[in-house]
Amino acid sequence: MTDSIRVAIAEDAAILRDGLVQLLADRGFEITAAVGEAEGLRASIERDCPDVAVIDIRMPPTFTDEGLRAAIDMRKRHQGLGILLFSQYIETRYAADLLADDAAGIGYLLKDRVADTSDFVEALVRVASGGTALDPEVVTQLLGASRRTDSLSGLSGREREVLSLMAEGRSNAAIATTLVISEGAVEKHVANIFAKLDLPVSQSDHRRVLAVLRFLDS
Amino acid sequence: MMAGDVDANGVRVQFRLGGNEKVIVLSEARVEQIHRIARRVWDEPFARRSWSELLFFVLSSLLAVVGFAFIAFTMLSGVALAITFIGLVVIAGSLRGARGIGGFHRNLARSFLDEHIEEPEPFAARPGFFGWLQSALRDTVGWRAVAYSVVKIPLSAFGVWFAFSVWVDAFFCLVYPLWGHGATRPPEFGVFLNLFQPGYLSVGDSGFFHGLFIFVTGVILVFVAPWTMRAVVYVDRRLMRVLLAPDAMTARVRSLEHARAQTLDTSAATLRRIERDLHDGTQAQLVAVAMRLGQAKEKLAEEGGGLDLDQVRRLVDDAHRGAKEAIVELRDLARGIHPPALDIGLEGALSTLAARSTVPSEVTVVLTDRPTPAIEAIAYFCVAELMANIVQHAHASRASISCVQQGGWLRIVVRDDGQGGAQLALVGSACSGLSGLTDRVHAVDGRLHITSPAGGPTVITIDLPLHA
Repeated sequence: MTDSIRVAIAEDAAILRDGLVQLLADRGFEITAAVGEAEGLRASIERDCPDVAVIDIRMPPTFTDEGLRAAIDMRKRHQGLGILLFSQYIETRYAADLLADDAAGIGYLLKDRVADTSDFVEALVRVASGGTALDPEVVTQLLGASRRTDSLSGLSGREREVLSLMAEGRSNAAIATTLVISEGAVEKHVANIFAKLDLPVSQSDHRRVLAVLRFLDS
Repeated sequence: MMAGDVDANGVRVQFRLGGNEKVIVLSEARVEQIHRIARRVWDEPFARRSWSELLFFVLSSLLAVVGFAFIAFTMLSGVALAITFIGLVVIAGSLRGARGIGGFHRNLARSFLDEHIEEPEPFAARPGFFGWLQSALRDTVGWRAVAYSVVKIPLSAFGVWFAFSVWVDAFFCLVYPLWGHGATRPPEFGVFLNLFQPGYLSVGDSGFFHGLFIFVTGVILVFVAPWTMRAVVYVDRRLMRVLLAPDAMTARVRSLEHARAQTLDTSAATLRRIERDLHDGTQAQLVAVAMRLGQAKEKLAEEGGGLDLDQVRRLVDDAHRGAKEAIVELRDLARGIHPPALDIGLEGALSTLAARSTVPSEVTVVLTDRPTPAIEAIAYFCVAELMANIVQHAHASRASISCVQQGGWLRIVVRDDGQGGAQLALVGSACSGLSGLTDRVHAVDGRLHITSPAGGPTVITIDLPLHA
């Protein structure tokens, strides 16, 4: 399944970069470039047109948000390029910047997530194929910061879990596996959530993410 | 009679005084000195500085008269009205005015004398009218400006008599011959002509020599005038520095504020550096370890007989090495925050530091009292920074660290036999390096002194108070 996915990696810590290259190569990804700063990434994306780029947010020379700016920039220039931002901190602002117009092919994960190799690879595949992968931490922060607490309090515990997983960008099938329930049950929960929050029903997973995020942010 | 001739030792001057033959031998240096003084005296009337001082004197004296009139009038009316509330308001207004006049004086000094007198604190009134009144009445800057305006009047009067008049005398004496001989007597209101009353001036002679004498007198006065004026302006400069600049207490508060701001900036920069070290070093290292272990775990969990033990072993090996490196990095980082050796005292900590350095170093510590922890930490980090500089930049073969108590002070001397040329601005980046050291040392009122001629040796002396 992952044979043909081509990945560019931008990560300034050599030890992590090498680890990622090794991990992804082992899982059958094709690594088109592994670089340490944003400029090299731009050049390699122009050259190789990968399916997805894994980008560290903090990179030289200023060690602030080079990766994020490069990502936003490259989203505009390369339609269909998946972006997985990879950071040791979660800044909800960054997520908002990145998701400003579309959640298709966007991911934002804590670096810790690579420890669970399969989940990480799964997220990368999702992003490469136009889906969304938001770190649970991002979702938790968004839920916590949301002013729509009264609407959210109307949800049952199970529904809140489903909402969180939905916001992370997972499909109904993946949610069903994670919560160990049937896919039909998930569909029912999703329908309930959309009805309770008065959200427009949408078929594709990433539009669903966007709808949920808009709701939490408004 | 006088005679001078030059020999190997300098100039011999022979002259006869009261029937005794005298000989003075002037060394070359002495002759050179006399030349210099003569040149200076010759140049002075034409120097820009002399004329700006004259202009300053005239303008500031006029300002002083106006200012004094204002202050005297408002103060006296204020006192007269003091029985009513209005009097206090008038006095407060007078003080605010005096502050402004002080500002004018400072501007004049800056424009004409190039004397930069520091601005005092801006007037900060408490809220409300009564707050304003109270603040204005207690404004020491205003009161000191009043004092200046009062003292300035006699100084100006003295200056007119002692210095300004010399210029005026000189002028009239120089132009006297042009006016037709003897038609008018030269003016005698200045100090010199009044003091000496040279006889030839009052001789009613209108001959050529009379005019020439007066002209020569004028020339002499032109060479005297810049110096008397300088003396008067010098007194004024001192007066302004005392009364129109911020007082010692304010200056101290300012320097403390500056030091505090720098300390806060430095500690913020330190925290940022630690965060970056953690982020780029240990955190990345641990993520990589977790990633490898995660991979290994999944390999081991794989169903079926396709288990590649070698690959798993490699992953675990890498993770193990990464974990050990992370431990080392964490230890170095922790030492950078607070060196554990400091807990046993400066001597132990400095010895450890010297032992870890790649440049052979000897340590001398003589302490009778133990400095406070903050001072110990500053001393330690300064020496650590200096030792790092020596290793990186100095190309030294030996270094020495001495740390000796002198009364209530700790004197630290770090010496190396390297190539020298260490400078505040050049060594290290903005937040570390020697300038960073200076900030740390100044924060506790310490001093840092660098001697580093090109070619070495470099000696850096740091004085710190024992207690901060």
